[in-house]
Amino acid sequence: MEHLTYDIRSGDFGGAGAASRDLKQHLKRIGAESDAVRRAMITAYEAEMNVVIHTEGGRLEATVSDGQLDVDVVDRGPGIPDVPQAMREGFSTASSEARALGFGAGMGLPNIERNSDRLRVTSAVGDGTRVSFSIILRPEAADQGARPSSLGIAAELCRDCRHCLAACPTAAVRVREAQPSVLYHLCVDCTCCIAACDPGALTLLDAPDGLVPGADGVLAVPPALLAGFGDHAVDTVLEELRGLGFAEVVSVHPYEDELRRGVLDLAATSALPTPVISSVCPAVVSLIELKFPSLVPHLAPLASPWEALQRDLGERDVTYVVSCPSQRTALLAQQPTAQRRTVTPRLVREAVLPRLAARRRAAAGTPAPQPQAAGADDLLVVTGVSHVLAVLEQIEDGRLTGVASVEPFICDGGCFGSPLLGEDAYVAAWRWAAAAGAASGEGRSYERARPYRPRPGIRLDPDMAVAIRKLAELDAETKALPGRDCGVCGAPTCAALAEDIVMGRAVRALCPYVTPEEGSAS
Amino acid sequence: MKLEDIARELGLTELTPKVTGNSEADIERGYASDLLSDVLAHAPAGGVLVTLQVHLNVIAVASHAELAAVIFAGDRRPDDEVCGKANAEGVSLFVSPADTFDVVGRLYALGVKGNHA
Repeated sequence: MEHLTYDIRSGDFGGAGAASRDLKQHLKRIGAESDAVRRAMITAYEAEMNVVIHTEGGRLEATVSDGQLDVDVVDRGPGIPDVPQAMREGFSTASSEARALGFGAGMGLPNIERNSDRLRVTSAVGDGTRVSFSIILRPEAADQGARPSSLGIAAELCRDCRHCLAACPTAAVRVREAQPSVLYHLCVDCTCCIAACDPGALTLLDAPDGLVPGADGVLAVPPALLAGFGDHAVDTVLEELRGLGFAEVVSVHPYEDELRRGVLDLAATSALPTPVISSVCPAVVSLIELKFPSLVPHLAPLASPWEALQRDLGERDVTYVVSCPSQRTALLAQQPTAQRRTVTPRLVREAVLPRLAARRRAAAGTPAPQPQAAGADDLLVVTGVSHVLAVLEQIEDGRLTGVASVEPFICDGGCFGSPLLGEDAYVAAWRWAAAAGAASGEGRSYERARPYRPRPGIRLDPDMAVAIRKLAELDAETKALPGRDCGVCGAPTCAALAEDIVMGRAVRALCPYVTPEEGSAS
Repeated sequence: MKLEDIARELGLTELTPKVTGNSEADIERGYASDLLSDVLAHAPAGGVLVTLQVHLNVIAVASHAELAAVIFAGDRRPDDEVCGKANAEGVSLFVSPADTFDVVGRLYALGVKGNHA
């Protein structure tokens, strides 16, 4: 928390602006959004000028905490007899000196009101006036809706095809001037935009130093990676991974099995509403928190397989090969230092492939019958974002009956189907089943560390009254747009552009179907 | 359009040659007003302001509104203190003998538009 105090002298036109300028430096230093800094400047400067022009002098106090700026300006009189009148644009009692300088046009308080998120003016004639206002400095970060994300953007690779716009299940991606960007308060860390992005402009963040074995030489991998090297046997892949300096390779699959058992158990014995939804895919968990808050009680309160594995590995120096952003984010949430050693499957493939090529190619293994999961009838496995959305909607509407538990994966084909892995989901899964038992290990399931929390998606404004006004604007903007959802403006849908316009992220003129006259009307 | 090109096209006198970094700035928007609260509320960041006001508060307002430049119309010239302040704040100042209406008209013809064009 920061607290700043400035004295303001009556009639000091030359010195006016010093407080607001100093405040601006502070706000920039703490990383406030530039629009918020601008609004803070305008409001603080107007408040400062009011004290200079109208009063016997006073003091401006500013407090910054929790992503919010609170400003309190108190003067020593003479006070405002009629505050509502003073709030009206055009009303002023300024001296001719002030007017000659271009002030006193009756815009000060209305300007503060327009640029702040909350304003309160109290005054006692003969005593003085107190003007208090607040500005939200980082609307997205101040809200719990924003999450750390593991989605990486390599803007220089973007070729402006905009396939990502339609692919994102939460309309979180924008492409403007051939630069993809993500509204992180809407991002669920899935792989949909990555899968749609051929040139690789949207991808998974990698470890800064690449694939470097830690002191303990432990490598944690998804089974799909082990089974993802064509007809090279899982044993061979394991051997080559050891050759890279990883003495111990652990697969996450026993933890997936344990979680499945845990979920089925909860479905059979607990009081959770059915179907119980597995927490196997952190991206689906995020999607439910964002888009299906009513289904949060259905989520099994168990850690995801990666989180459980990480807990078992404790303080050991582990390199994690994750197949999607949501797994990386989950690992980092439990252990921020994992960031150094969380790598993409691509890095591992690039290291292993030359070694495999140098070997004599191993004969293809004989497919073994896939082991039947316990109580498979009680479990509905759903993979792929469109199917997951459809099934979640069925559950929400109460139309999915007779199903004890659901295991949803955002990637088509489950974690085997992550676009970040090199092998097709079905081929890798078949090979994995054929090599059953090749990478053995014990799994465990744990209770979740972080409780599930519904997450607000569209936040027009923290102030309900303003939000309601913006909702009306949103309605009007949506009606003014053609409804073609063409994506030329860089937003996935007309509704998303309307929201961008109301939130100040875009202008209506970006729409190619709005005539220039209409475009300038906003 | 670049600020230095605008200055040349309009025959402006530069008062702040020490402010560098703005001359290459691309000016797309402008605002004309003598009411400083109005400037503060509506002038576009990165834009140019045309005004008759030549006192110190103009610089504070221009800096707060993040304007790149101020053009004083009607051959009105600020004093040295104002120019010094503008140098310190990184705001470029120019003088034009033409009145506000003509300055704005020429800016518009060069492609510098208002907030709603």
